[in-house]
Amino acid sequence: MKLNTRINGKDYCLEINPNAMLVDVLRQAGLKSVKFGCGEGSCGCCAVMIDGKPRNSCITLAGLAEGAEILTVEGMGNPQEPHALQQAFVDSGSTQCGYCNPGSLIAAKALLDSNPNPSAEDVKDALDGNLCRCTGYVKRIDAVLSAAKAMKKSKKTSRGKK
Amino acid sequence: MLKKLTQFYYPETIEEACKYLGKKGEKTAVVAGGTSEALRQDNSIEALVDISRVKELNYIRKDSSIYRIGATTPIQDIYKCSDLKGPSGEILKYTAGKIGSTLLRNSITAGGNLAAIFPWSDLPPVYLALDAEVVLRKGKPKRTVPVENLINERPNKFLGENEIIAEIAVPVYGKGTGTSFVKFAKTANDYSMITVATRVTLKSGKIEQARIALNAVTISPVRIKDAEKILEGQKPTSDLIAEAAAKTAEKAEIRKDFRASKEYKREVLEVLVRRSLEEALEMAKK
Repeated sequence: MKLNTRINGKDYCLEINPNAMLVDVLRQAGLKSVKFGCGEGSCGCCAVMIDGKPRNSCITLAGLAEGAEILTVEGMGNPQEPHALQQAFVDSGSTQCGYCNPGSLIAAKALLDSNPNPSAEDVKDALDGNLCRCTGYVKRIDAVLSAAKAMKKSKKTSRGKK
Repeated sequence: MLKKLTQFYYPETIEEACKYLGKKGEKTAVVAGGTSEALRQDNSIEALVDISRVKELNYIRKDSSIYRIGATTPIQDIYKCSDLKGPSGEILKYTAGKIGSTLLRNSITAGGNLAAIFPWSDLPPVYLALDAEVVLRKGKPKRTVPVENLINERPNKFLGENEIIAEIAVPVYGKGTGTSFVKFAKTANDYSMITVATRVTLKSGKIEQARIALNAVTISPVRIKDAEKILEGQKPTSDLIAEAAAKTAEKAEIRKDFRASKEYKREVLEVLVRRSLEEALEMAKK
């Protein structure tokens, strides 16, 4: 069957198996930032934003994304122009093996979209579905908090320029 | 998994959804968040009816003395809802927050917890403890039934072929009522091993109404009415609560699973029910 969806601002019409999971469809469409982890919604590696909400794409049937807006890490930034969160993850040492990062970044972005001034508790709550074996979680919390600060600063300066 | 699935339907109204479900010659099933459907080993389903875009199914509102929660409302919205207050609102929010993770809570829905009841579904025992009702729709016609009936008779048998769960209606309790939810699991993200939801409503110093509902430790959400009877009509004392907790552990049909032995779970269950009742009582006295 056909799946019409918008991924990172671009329209796609994909030929999919009706029982395919979104994680596989996205990876086959070339969006390799989306990682397959546990396949049962426990680890969060596969998190993508569907209509602004972070969800596990490994237990989301692709058909449910018909007409939806999907955001993956490819749509957040790239090595030349990283998103403030991506930069903060690199600077703080939250990127080690890196496998959990795409999911964590999506969950973190969803938090900052709705709450630009999160507390450490808010960050823990928002990233509770993203397991990370390398960092021990502390660096990741620091990263999100510092990204929030950086984003506020850049907003102020860009306003100043105008 | 879902090997025979050939297509999805995307209705925008309840009536349209029911029409697709009642289609002759095609085996259909409802899907919203999709978490249980994704893991379902059912190879007879030919089409899925995605009701997550039906706007009239996604809301949390209060009218007079009832919280009305649309069936496809993600439980993350319940967890974050600032309008849910009091003994009913607090237990709903607290329980929703204890389910899975943010990523899962954005998928899991208030009605999905009832449409596909698993031992580890955390909201059904809460619905039972609050005497919630469920609104079922078959196109335009609707019926309202106690959640308990739906659970006891199993949703797949209770619901008509073209009938859907539309709303969960939770009574708002005021002063004199206390509620408590306790979840016991190996880790914060693991499936529940024991869940206990209790409610105590006091009237002139005595327990007028008591509810003790369990899940996970049992195979299906269930009220332990023999234990509730011990409490009702009595003055709340710690001995009485201990007696009700012991009765609950005695009467509960403990489910077998690999996580722990039945004996262990029975032991823990008694302690959790006691603590839960104490907590509910504390709230009721405030």
